Amino acid sequence: MLKWLPARTKSSLGHEALAYADTLHNLARYLTRSESDAEDLVQETYVRALQASAQFAVGTNLKAWLFTILRNAQLSRYRSERSKPMAGVDDIAATAEAIQDAPSSHDDFSLEQTKRIVGNDIEAAMRSLTEDARTVILLDLEGLAESEMALVLGCPAGTVKSRLSRARAALREKLADYAPEGKRE
Amino acid sequence: MNCENAKLQLLDYHRERLPAEVQEEVRTHLHACSSCAQADRDERTLSDLLERQLPQHPARPALKRRLAALVKATTPAHEPWFPFPVARWLAPALAAGLLATTGLLVYSKAPRGGSELALITSEAVNDHLRVLNSQRPVEIESGGPHQVKPWFQGKLDFSPDVPEVAPLVLQGGSVGYFRDRKAAVIVYALRLHTVTLLEVRAGDLPWPSSTSEVRAASDRRFNAFFWRGGDLGYALVSDIDAKELGAIAREIAARK
Repeated sequence: MLKWLPARTKSSLGHEALAYADTLHNLARYLTRSESDAEDLVQETYVRALQASAQFAVGTNLKAWLFTILRNAQLSRYRSERSKPMAGVDDIAATAEAIQDAPSSHDDFSLEQTKRIVGNDIEAAMRSLTEDARTVILLDLEGLAESEMALVLGCPAGTVKSRLSRARAALREKLADYAPEGKRE
Repeated sequence: MNCENAKLQLLDYHRERLPAEVQEEVRTHLHACSSCAQADRDERTLSDLLERQLPQHPARPALKRRLAALVKATTPAHEPWFPFPVARWLAPALAAGLLATTGLLVYSKAPRGGSELALITSEAVNDHLRVLNSQRPVEIESGGPHQVKPWFQGKLDFSPDVPEVAPLVLQGGSVGYFRDRKAAVIVYALRLHTVTLLEVRAGDLPWPSSTSEVRAASDRRFNAFFWRGGDLGYALVSDIDAKELGAIAREIAARK
């Protein structure tokens, strides 16, 4: 967008944001435990986005901005429902470090062995990861730049790369369990 | 380049996002290091798997319809038609000049503090819209006030009221947010309408200062009534007639 153009009006931002309903719902579905929770989260994201439309800065990636709002809304919900255990930032660091320190089983993870892994297995493996790990993997798949992912995750841009690397390592570990011929002894 | 650095760069290497010289360094390292070459194959396999087989969960049409309705409901019917910032202040200036030359006197009927009231009205209506659009508008279904009120224990730092006022029919309650703080959201039905009672620590929010004052406002064709009870602020919101909603609000406020 050209810099001299005025900021989006509330209406135009709202309508542009509707184009991201599918991708926001997809992220919400992976972050929450049910369809109704995901829908509520997406809806809350739009409510918050419309309320904060005046704060949307020209030149910002709208998709990344909406992801940030969705993640903040999810964190608010998490804080308000602390009685329901959910993995947080500390957990991913601990899990990821444990995985990094563990002996590598990458030899098990070949394309041939993963051919029989089906979508449900990948989804199950994703869901077994911590919330942060799931989020960073999905944001990367959405094509966000590291600086945009840092905005969503609320972390320095310099740590996104290592977070993503550890999250993918954790996912590979999980997927190795689903590879029929490559299961670790 | 050592193995640790190389492995950290693998994703960017696949996507050719590295500066040319770093890209070449990684390439050279992979030729020389079988462990990193294996890690490289693993990364590509994982990317391939995720892109081709990770199930996607698009929004259902019903959700999309609700979102579209939300966008429509929360945006003004007429946005400024001047597209440029300069025109935005120039237009009111021209209008003021025109009024001055024709000797017209403009008198604003807006009460003092109106903009502050508008602020909390907008927030209260947004919370009401959230109730209307939610698939689960209440977290605790009503079995009566004696069931709903205790449910809030430990969820808020105050004990909310769950008033029973005819003709409202209690539906249940949930914890929501009003700006930056938690709120008790009590949901009622009145005929086919939904009525939302919000209770929040008023603190620095521009709630009426007097406990006997019930202030009325409207936003996006929803009516809202605000009053204070101690350090709590109350907001009653619905699309029912302002006169009827106001009478209910005053009855609840009078019980404090």
